[in-house]
Amino acid sequence: MAQQHGIIVLFDVENALRTRSLDGNTYWFDNMKFLGSVGEGTGQLVTIVPGTYFLDGSQATEQVLNWLPAALGAIPPTVPRNYLAEQERAHDRRTLEQLAALGGDGEVSSTEVSRLQQRVGRRPRKQAGGRGLTAAKLLDVTGKATSSAAAYNYPAPVITDITGQAVSEKIIYPAQYGSPDMVYDGWYWAATVDTSRPGVYPYTMHVQLHELVEQNDELVWQSVDLTCESSLKITSDPKRNAFTGAGLGVLPLPAAPPAG
Amino acid sequence: MAEKVSIVVLVDAVGALSDRTLHNGNLSLVDDSPAGSRHQGTPDLITAVVPGQVVQWTPIHVDVQTPVEIEAIEFLSGVAVPPSDAQVFPPPGDPAVPPYPVESPAVAAPDATGSDGYDNHDLLVWEGVVPDYMVPGVPYRYRLSLKLHDGPNSVLHIDSPALLRV
Repeated sequence: MAQQHGIIVLFDVENALRTRSLDGNTYWFDNMKFLGSVGEGTGQLVTIVPGTYFLDGSQATEQVLNWLPAALGAIPPTVPRNYLAEQERAHDRRTLEQLAALGGDGEVSSTEVSRLQQRVGRRPRKQAGGRGLTAAKLLDVTGKATSSAAAYNYPAPVITDITGQAVSEKIIYPAQYGSPDMVYDGWYWAATVDTSRPGVYPYTMHVQLHELVEQNDELVWQSVDLTCESSLKITSDPKRNAFTGAGLGVLPLPAAPPAG
Repeated sequence: MAEKVSIVVLVDAVGALSDRTLHNGNLSLVDDSPAGSRHQGTPDLITAVVPGQVVQWTPIHVDVQTPVEIEAIEFLSGVAVPPSDAQVFPPPGDPAVPPYPVESPAVAAPDATGSDGYDNHDLLVWEGVVPDYMVPGVPYRYRLSLKLHDGPNSVLHIDSPALLRV
């Protein structure tokens, strides 16, 4: 049975934000190299979609594509998704304990207080209309609260649409689906494929990245919408009977029953 | 008589490849024969069939992104079958068979699994008619070979399933 396609798109978020382009900042990888995908691990992946049809011309195999975004420099997808919230809560609890400990002495030094103030960290606002981000404290790469905009984790990129020739010519029917897999924040993009028209069809992926900017003395996650391209190579071959190489025939049983 | 008997081959490809075996719970065979098959859900399935029925094998993977295809189904003649032998065993010296027409291709068939230069076993339909000459009451064991992806260790087989004419 033909397997579903997994297509991982790995983004170099930092460089993409700096250059305001995904050119050279995406790495595409799929699970179909053994059937003819080319450009694995590059920005020029062509994903093979080997379609099949029955002798009456009807499509015999349902091909399903699944796109999985990933980011260099983001929290690894293996870390539980509530990591940010858990870290934030644990961090607040420790800071409060230390604050309580300070109060017990009567005399509180201002340097101690300002040290704790720094530890509280900052909580960037979500930009109005921004998608896919929940308000959370800014954490650095080690998971500690930080108030420095230079030392944070990039939120994972969000696919917002899939368009282009493959879609407009109705080769693929992409849509976003709910998923119980919180690694992808509960959503994923998938498509089924019409394999009856062989050829190479490019498509455009629309991606939202998030950049931390200082605005009116406040940190704000600002969304940055960019696009990148990949292609599908559709082939189509007839199904054949595996025993005869053509149509239906008798099973190749031995003439005499097996001994024993 | 049911006109068709389906045998579904359930495969945990990752388990089979890492165990290097289709046993250990990595494969399960189930059929829908109404004639009293035995050992449903195991690799030792004996499917009850009658002549004229079409038997079809379909592989299903538990992980949807793992490739699982049937590489070969070879009926065992009592002597051990060397691996990756010819796929077809015509019954020798019996002009009476086959009683069912075998369509021959009008033009030379291309490689049955060739797809744009790549070997694609998804193109194969594993089905055939139960022949009249099958002896009742004797299990005809077959070697079921599965292809999991395409590396040098991708093909695994079991010799335990069988068809039994009732």
